[in-house]
Amino acid sequence: MKEEIVAPTVFLVDDDPGVLKAHARLLGAHGFKTAGFESAEAFLAQHAAAARGCLVLDVSLPGLDGLALQRRLAQAGCSLPIVFLTGAADIPMSVQAMKAGAIDFLTKPVTGATLVAAVRAGLEQDALARQATDEGAMLRQRYASLSVREREVLAGLAAGKLNKQIAAALGITEATVKFHRARLMDRMQAQTVAELMHLAARLDGLR
Amino acid sequence: MWLFMISLALVSPTALAEATRNVLVLYSYGRLLPGNLEGDRGLRDGFAARPDLPVSISVEYFDNLRFSGEAYERTFVAYLRDKYALHPPEVLMVAADEALDFVLRHRSELFPQVPIVHMSILDEYLQSRPPLPADVIGTPIEYDFVGTVAQALRWHPTARRLVVVTGASPWDRGWEARVRALAGDLPPGLTVEFMAGLPTDELQRRLRALDPGSIVFTPGYHRDGSGREFTPREAARLVAAAAPAPVYGPFSSFVGTGIVGGRMADYAAIGRGGAQTAIALLDGADPATVTRPKAMPMALQLDWRQLQRWGIADRAVPAGAIVRFREPSLWEAHRELVIAGIAVILVQAGLIGALLFERRRRRRTVADLARSEQLIRLAAQAANLSTWVLDARSLGPAGIAHVTQPAGSPRGPLADFSETLARISPLDRATVDTALRDALQTTTEFDVEYRIQDANGEWAWQSARGRADRAQSPRLLGVAIDITPRKRAEAQAAEDRAALYHMTRVSLLGQLSASIAHQLNQPLASILANAEAAQKMLEREPLDLVELRAICADIAAEDQRAAQVIRRLGVLFKRGESVFEPLDVNELARDTLEFTRSILTTRHVAFSTQLAPALPLIQGDRVQLQQLLLNLMVNAADAMADLPEDRRHMSIATALQDRDVRICVTDRGPGVSAEVVDKVFEPFWSTRPGGMGMGLAVCRSIVEAHRGRLTVAEAPGGGAVFCALLPVRASP
Repeated sequence: MKEEIVAPTVFLVDDDPGVLKAHARLLGAHGFKTAGFESAEAFLAQHAAAARGCLVLDVSLPGLDGLALQRRLAQAGCSLPIVFLTGAADIPMSVQAMKAGAIDFLTKPVTGATLVAAVRAGLEQDALARQATDEGAMLRQRYASLSVREREVLAGLAAGKLNKQIAAALGITEATVKFHRARLMDRMQAQTVAELMHLAARLDGLR
Repeated sequence: MWLFMISLALVSPTALAEATRNVLVLYSYGRLLPGNLEGDRGLRDGFAARPDLPVSISVEYFDNLRFSGEAYERTFVAYLRDKYALHPPEVLMVAADEALDFVLRHRSELFPQVPIVHMSILDEYLQSRPPLPADVIGTPIEYDFVGTVAQALRWHPTARRLVVVTGASPWDRGWEARVRALAGDLPPGLTVEFMAGLPTDELQRRLRALDPGSIVFTPGYHRDGSGREFTPREAARLVAAAAPAPVYGPFSSFVGTGIVGGRMADYAAIGRGGAQTAIALLDGADPATVTRPKAMPMALQLDWRQLQRWGIADRAVPAGAIVRFREPSLWEAHRELVIAGIAVILVQAGLIGALLFERRRRRRTVADLARSEQLIRLAAQAANLSTWVLDARSLGPAGIAHVTQPAGSPRGPLADFSETLARISPLDRATVDTALRDALQTTTEFDVEYRIQDANGEWAWQSARGRADRAQSPRLLGVAIDITPRKRAEAQAAEDRAALYHMTRVSLLGQLSASIAHQLNQPLASILANAEAAQKMLEREPLDLVELRAICADIAAEDQRAAQVIRRLGVLFKRGESVFEPLDVNELARDTLEFTRSILTTRHVAFSTQLAPALPLIQGDRVQLQQLLLNLMVNAADAMADLPEDRRHMSIATALQDRDVRICVTDRGPGVSAEVVDKVFEPFWSTRPGGMGMGLAVCRSIVEAHRGRLTVAEAPGGGAVFCALLPVRASP
């Protein structure tokens, strides 16, 4: 519901109010919607978990610092892409941030072009991720509507077994397998067996 | 033990009765004074009259005419007390005023309870002082000046002039005053002339010029107008030899020196009388009831040869007069007189010997003095010291900038300090001038350092120390020493110290380079972003002028911020001379925290401050103290590196403690263990791998340069607390 209303936002977290304001202005001038926070704690308290957009995060913050916030968000299942900013480049720190999935690790002062490019990349990733998440949710919904027998038949098909083999394994007739297959293809909205196989593979990845 | 003492006490009265009795005689003047010799003889005769009473007579000479002063008295008291501690006198006999006064002054420490017999004390003197204690007794004497003169006038009825000769010592002055007081009692028509305190040569010249119609009276003198010392008897002899007129005197010891004589108490009789009184006391008589004559008997004592010389007939001599030195026919009849004469000659010989001895001693003293002066000069040379004297009058009213040359050049090895003063650097003149004036006023020692230009125009450092000369005010005496090498070494040490501070400071800043880069990058980032935002906004119509203006203002403010960081850095990087100025420790702490804020943030060290309000200012070097705080804060952060992030906390506290401002940096690290607490401030001691170990050594050096103290202690609740105590600035 919210997804429809809330436009993608660039969330900025920096303990330096001057820098925070300037970056918000720069991104604002490039047409981005921004929201600034002076500490990681303030961000956690105010932002909506499902909010769309990306996070421009200063590494060095009093209290909860940038890397700790990254961990905290990951634990909470929030996939907001993160662009890190640092006042002084620190290689071990940047390696850690990138390993944990950061979009980029930029050293201040950062040019507008670099920052805007990184933010765009972050928003794109977010959009893709959300799309993927939306498809996954639909698949899960369809899968949930299957009966137990239909799921067993789908598992057999996904494992590459023949109808005869599935019937033998489940102790039912081949005709009954065919009947279930037709119903589950209908329920999963698959036009062909090949499409059904693809959907099954994605479901497997989502699980 | 007690039993033994009690038995001794019981036995002692009888034991004492058989034992020799101790008597101590103290004479006011010297041993060889004729009066003392005669008196001593009479005293011994007096005791000899009681062969059943064995008496041990000890004799001491206070010798007050030549020796006096507090130190001497103290020493003399100690000497008497110690000497007679084991054989204390049972009777103390004193001759003349000075000895009596001395004994009474120190009676509490010197033979208290021992009865005192006084001798040869003028009745008028006893009347003039507070009454004597009951156990101080004796027969006073009188000098019958008026009676003597009256007798002389009977023999020389034509005399119209009486010449009184006295000397210059206090004793002599006493006599002069006494005679002046009595001059009114003399017959009218007699002119009294005083020859008082003249040099002996002058006196003799004037005496020779006297007309024979004069009469001379002299008590002799101890010192003449030129300061030469005499015995009164010697003086009397000189007076009698010079005067072409008859000479009279008050003392029996003068008879035989060439004077006619006079009405006088006999010293031997005084001695005998004293002995009798002492014997009565030794026999156990109560001092208050001892019978004794009211006054010493007086007799006319005369020299027969002088009677002949001045044509005084035997029949004119009153009955009862004692005539001595009668011609040979009388010698055999008066054997004791002959012996007395020989004794007098012996005494004289002794006197001469003593004088010769005295002279030799004086010569030796002079030689010793010269030697000691030479030694002092050698020592001064070896120590590169110069001794100097400064006439206070050469200090002009406007200070030493206007030194005038003193009237006379000083004698001996002393240099004239005013020559030095003229060459002192104008920078140090006021200091030296103040020191000299204070020393003159307070007579305390002064010690001052100054720069001085030598003959070649080279500047050197000197230190002078001295004090006012009490003997010859107003002037100053002192020594000066070249301290240029020391000053150079001090300057070198200060330079080395500054270099060390700088080196460690730069090394510290190196450790903080990430933090410094961060501090610089923040405003730069802000400026760049603002500028690019403005560029982007300028591409679009309509222009948001309000926002563009705000952006420009922010750019300017951020630029200022960057400049401030660079300024702060520049000060710390600069290697300059130490500059002490009034500082607010709280402001210093805040400024330093501003600097370390980013490093504390990146290291996840939270901090808090407890700054005491309204702290007094201290006198300090801003850069050095900032280095100190920076170092302590970085150390605190380092100490907590292994702690979980939420436990890393540092606190900065300031407070007033007595006369010091205290600033403490507390961490929650492992603390400083007791084994190493003494080592942490030592150079090259470090817990950090790769640490130079100079940080805390430099910190302590900085604090000590501020006359403060740097301490470390266990913080309450674990961790270390480093405190610097900095003395409050003396009132401006």
